[in-house]
Amino acid sequence: ILDVLPRVTCPNHPDSILVEDYRAGDMICSECGLVVGDRVIDVGSEWRTFSNDKATKDPSRVGDTQNPLLSDGDLSTMIGKGTGAASFDEFGNSKYQNRRTMSSSDRAMMNAFKEITNMADRINLPRNIVDRTNNLFKQVYEQKSLKGRSNDAIASACLYIACRQEGVPRTFKEICAVSRISKKEIGRCFKLILKALETSVDLITTGDFMSRFCSNLGLPKQVQMAATHIARKAVELDLVPGRSPISVAAAAIYMASQASSEKRTQKEIGDIAGVADVTIRQSYRLIYPRAPDLFPADFKFDTPVDKLPQL
Amino acid sequence: AGFCNEKIPPSFLRNIVSTVNLACKLDLKNIALHARNAEYNPKRFAAVIMRIREPRTTALIFSSGKMVCTGAKSEEQSRLAARKYARVVQKLGFPAKFLDFKIQNMVGSCDVRFPIRLEGLVLTHQHYEPELFPGLVYRMVKPRIVLLIFVSGKVVLTGKWCLSLPAAHCYLIF
Repeated sequence: ILDVLPRVTCPNHPDSILVEDYRAGDMICSECGLVVGDRVIDVGSEWRTFSNDKATKDPSRVGDTQNPLLSDGDLSTMIGKGTGAASFDEFGNSKYQNRRTMSSSDRAMMNAFKEITNMADRINLPRNIVDRTNNLFKQVYEQKSLKGRSNDAIASACLYIACRQEGVPRTFKEICAVSRISKKEIGRCFKLILKALETSVDLITTGDFMSRFCSNLGLPKQVQMAATHIARKAVELDLVPGRSPISVAAAAIYMASQASSEKRTQKEIGDIAGVADVTIRQSYRLIYPRAPDLFPADFKFDTPVDKLPQL
Repeated sequence: AGFCNEKIPPSFLRNIVSTVNLACKLDLKNIALHARNAEYNPKRFAAVIMRIREPRTTALIFSSGKMVCTGAKSEEQSRLAARKYARVVQKLGFPAKFLDFKIQNMVGSCDVRFPIRLEGLVLTHQHYEPELFPGLVYRMVKPRIVLLIFVSGKVVLTGKWCLSLPAAHCYLIF
C-alpha cells in the first residue's frame, strides 16, 4: 500500500533485483544486464550526519526526505541567509527575505502529521501504525466531508482507527491520554470517519488488551495467560452481558492476579485499564460464581479458588 | 429464537414529533404574556415554549407561524394537541390556520424479552462500540428507522414508521 515511487522492473525479468550504478544514475537488471532506468535522480541524502559532529555547519544542500505520498509535490527548498555582499540591498536588509513558506496548500495537513507523530510517540506506537494513521488522515482530509471538525480530533480518531486496523486496538481513554480532545469528540469523529471512508472495524475483544495491561502491571506470563483464558471463557458463557470488554478484561486480570502470588489491587488495575474500580467490582461479582470453571486447567493456584476475595 | 417467531412483541409509541404551519406571522411577546403555560426567552431561544396538560405535550411556536409539537403518545393525540395549540393562538387574536400537519419522528420502545448477543448481530449496517455506548445502533434502510438494540432485549426504535413495520424487522433479525 505504501508504494511511493513508480517501480521500474526489467521487462524480461520482472522479479530480479535492480542494481543501482551511481556513476551514470542507471538501474541495471542483475539477470541480463539491461539498463532499465536511465539517469535516475538519486534522492538519498548528501551527507551522513553523526551525533558526535559539532553541529556548527550542516553542509547538506538538499531538503527533507521526500514524502510525495502524503504531501503531494513536496519540494522543501528554502532560501538560506545570505553570505556575500550581493544578497543585501541598499538599506542593508537582505534581499530574498527569509525562507518562503513551502507547500502552503497542505500546511494544516503537515501540522496534523506532526501532531500524530507526537501522539504516537507518547504511547510508543510503531512506525507502521503512524503511517497508516497518516494515510487515513490524508483520505479524510481530501474528502473534506469532516472539514468543520478540529484537525486534532480527526487525527486522534485516525490514530484510534489505525490501531484497530493493525490488530492492536487502544482504548479511547488511552488515546485521550495523549490528546487534548475529549473522548466524546474523538468518538464522534470516529463514527464520522468510518462513514466517510465507508470502512468498518472489527469488534474489540478482551484478548487484545491483555498483554499490554499485564505487562504494565508487571504480571508474569502465567497470570497473563490465565487472565486471557478467564476473560475469554466469561464472554463465551455470557456471564457478563453488556459489559464493555475492557471492564471484563480488568476483572479477569484481578481474578487471575488474586489467585497467583502477584496480587494487584482493584485500584491499580483500574488505573492501568482506565476503568473505575467499582466497574471492576461489578464485573468481578458477575464472574466470581463461576470462578473454578474459568481458570485454565494447568494453572498453579497460590490462593485457592475458594479463598478468592469476594466483593 | 423458536418461539418468538409466533408472537412478535408489541411496540409502544413513546414520543411523536410533528410540525404544522399556522400560516400567519405571530407576535411571540404577545403570546407569551397572554397565554398560560408559555415561556419565552428570546436571548436563549427564538420561540415560545408552550405546554398543555391534556395530551401531555410541549410545543415550540416560532414567529414565522411554524410550530413543532412534541411529547404525544400517538399520531391522533399529536394531531389533537397541535389543533389545541392552534386554537390557543387563534383565541389570542391571530388568524391561525392548520396547514401541513406532518409527523416528523416517532420514538417507540419494544421488549423482545430475551437477552440478545450483540456481538453476533454485527453485520454491515450496524455500529456497536461497547466503549462508547452499550447499545448496538442498527440503521435499517427500507423503512428508514434507527434501532437501538440492547443486551437486555429492549429495543428503542426511532424514525418515521407505522406499527406493523418493526414486526417485520424483528422477524428479519431472528
